[in-house]
Amino acid sequence: MPFEVLVPADEVRLQRPDPGCASRVETGNVPLLLAEVRHALERLVRSGTPHTIDLRAIPLGPGEEDRLLAALGRGEVHAEFDSMGPTEIQECGYAGVWCVTHRNPGGTTVTGRFLEITYAPELLASPAEDVSAALERLTAELTTA
Amino acid sequence: MTSELGGTVGDFLRARGVSRRGFMKFCATTASLMAMAPTMAPKVAEALEKARRPSVIWLPFQECTGCTESLTRSHSPTIEGLLFDAISLDYQETIMAAAGHQAEEILRDVTKENWGNYILCVDGSIPLANKGYSTIGGVSNVDMLKQVARGAKAIVCIGSCSAFGGLPKANPNPTGAVAVSDIIKDKPIINVSGCPPIPIAITGILAHVLTFGIPELDHYGRPRAFYGQTIHDRCYRRPFYERGQFAEHFDDEGAKAGWCLFKVGCKGPITYNSCSTYKWNFGVSWPVEAGHGCIGCSEPNFWDWQGLYRPLSTTQWGNWTTVGAAAGVGAVAGAVAALASRRKQRPVGEDVEEAQS
Amino acid sequence: MTILEFARGPAFQFALTLFVFGVVWRLVGTFLMMRRHDFSKPRKHSLVAGGVRSIAMRSLPPHELEKKIVFQHVSGYAWHLTFFASLLLFAPHIPFFKQFLGFGWPTLPNGLALACGAVALGILLALLWRRATRPVLRHISTIDDYISVILTILPLLTGFFAYYRFGIQFIRYETLLGLHILSVCALMVWFPFGKLMHLFLAFPARFQAGALLRRKGVEA
Repeated sequence: MPFEVLVPADEVRLQRPDPGCASRVETGNVPLLLAEVRHALERLVRSGTPHTIDLRAIPLGPGEEDRLLAALGRGEVHAEFDSMGPTEIQECGYAGVWCVTHRNPGGTTVTGRFLEITYAPELLASPAEDVSAALERLTAELTTA
Repeated sequence: MTSELGGTVGDFLRARGVSRRGFMKFCATTASLMAMAPTMAPKVAEALEKARRPSVIWLPFQECTGCTESLTRSHSPTIEGLLFDAISLDYQETIMAAAGHQAEEILRDVTKENWGNYILCVDGSIPLANKGYSTIGGVSNVDMLKQVARGAKAIVCIGSCSAFGGLPKANPNPTGAVAVSDIIKDKPIINVSGCPPIPIAITGILAHVLTFGIPELDHYGRPRAFYGQTIHDRCYRRPFYERGQFAEHFDDEGAKAGWCLFKVGCKGPITYNSCSTYKWNFGVSWPVEAGHGCIGCSEPNFWDWQGLYRPLSTTQWGNWTTVGAAAGVGAVAGAVAALASRRKQRPVGEDVEEAQS
Repeated sequence: MTILEFARGPAFQFALTLFVFGVVWRLVGTFLMMRRHDFSKPRKHSLVAGGVRSIAMRSLPPHELEKKIVFQHVSGYAWHLTFFASLLLFAPHIPFFKQFLGFGWPTLPNGLALACGAVALGILLALLWRRATRPVLRHISTIDDYISVILTILPLLTGFFAYYRFGIQFIRYETLLGLHILSVCALMVWFPFGKLMHLFLAFPARFQAGALLRRKGVEA
């Protein structure tokens, strides 16, 4: 909790609203998003063009994002890296569909969530400059050793 | 204190130990912040690599500090926070360490050094009824605004007060509060309205100004990326509106079922903002999802819209007293008209007498 | 002040004041006017029954003309029913009435209420065209006829544009809503001064005619 509760816990009665009561609100965007994923997969297969969907830019009711991700399922690959906070890259149950979740350095907040339809998300590959710098470093290590 | 001008944003981030992956992550989330398509992330990367860290001066006028709170309220560093660090925020009274004469010196030095190139952020309205109503170090808001604005490259008005006048301007406006755009006419002004604005909107606009310059603006000078759609058009409760399922009052069955809040005063149909897509508290929720109608806080004069809980289809009709008075006057007028017409009509029996005579 | 703020604020207040003043003025003036005295003995005494009968009889077309005026008759009823359905049974209108009356009532689904409005608008446009093109109708039409029908068309038309937009992006929703409310204000301002007063006067007029005729022994 970001602030202290100054009243003894047993005197405070907090009623959490039942999330189930509002979780059936449908914007109707979940099947539409799944259709967009299907189209993107088709394009990927046909021409190799990747596609990214920014889930933050689409209005989704409470629980809908979870239903979307549940519909996509989990695949074999799970990768994490930490740079300015943890980022999780999860392959979905459908190969070629990846869910990339960026979090802040504390890991407490999701700062971005994208669906990438691609053979491999760019963030998984090592950046070219880093590879050149790594080559220099390793060369230096081996020559001094 | 001088700003680290000469360094680019890319250099700044690398100096902070941000790897290439981290930088790409940063660009992807920044592109999302700026309401751009994810394919723009590489372009954002390119622009941020080259963008020089501009000096930003933040002047607070007649405000409640809510906009600063909205921006800085976070319990751990975030991407937005880092972006904000990437600009050189040289003068911000709430969060800067210096105070008093030192702070005044900083303002003078910064404006002089970066004349013509700094971004001026303003929050709070400017009182004109009496210059003494709001001053900083003895200088009235209106004088300080005019002075500092002369050397600014662009002005970003943070919050509805600086964008439109806000709460101080509400009827009867005792301080003569006006918006920045009522005073400054010769500089590009971006209005990031809201009471307060969503933090994403603030940092997204600053990111855009950094990378691609002034974004496309709507009829009120607000960036179309965040203020191009109404709340109603992107609201997740829209299907209930279409089906005619409304909450009649707070806490009834309709409210508990999450139905449309039109009848409890939601101003979503006439409010342009992105609360329904980007939400608040980093996507946790927003007023309608929490069960309260939109109050229209990013629109001009929303405080004078006749009430937060009066539905949009109601009007100002006076009250039964005024209606009764109008009816009374009407009754008198009608009686007078009837009397006049009676006078003109021939009296009873006159035509009979005439016929007999 | 935006168009919407003006419409919801001073414009409506002015229109309502004028509407109430005008309607009360005309009703009081009409009912207080002198009527000719009838010196004969009444043939029948149940004058109220006569009035009610006349209201009923004049709600149907006269037997001699019923085949010739089917269109006017049907369109008249259709228009009144659909217009009042779209005015009173459309959910977003209920808070408007509730602010005066303190209570609301159940409504039709939006789609159905809007369909009624569309029918009402179509009928009005058809009748306006008819009035302007047929020589006899054109000859007997007054400025009151035209103003009344146009001011009744405008709220329906602006209401549809406010709800559906029809792809018009250059006028914002709040302006369209403001125009809708302003068109209602215009209708309210004109209302007491033209033939639209038949809303209040039609049934009393029929009643009075029926009562007077019943007094003379005529069943009409």
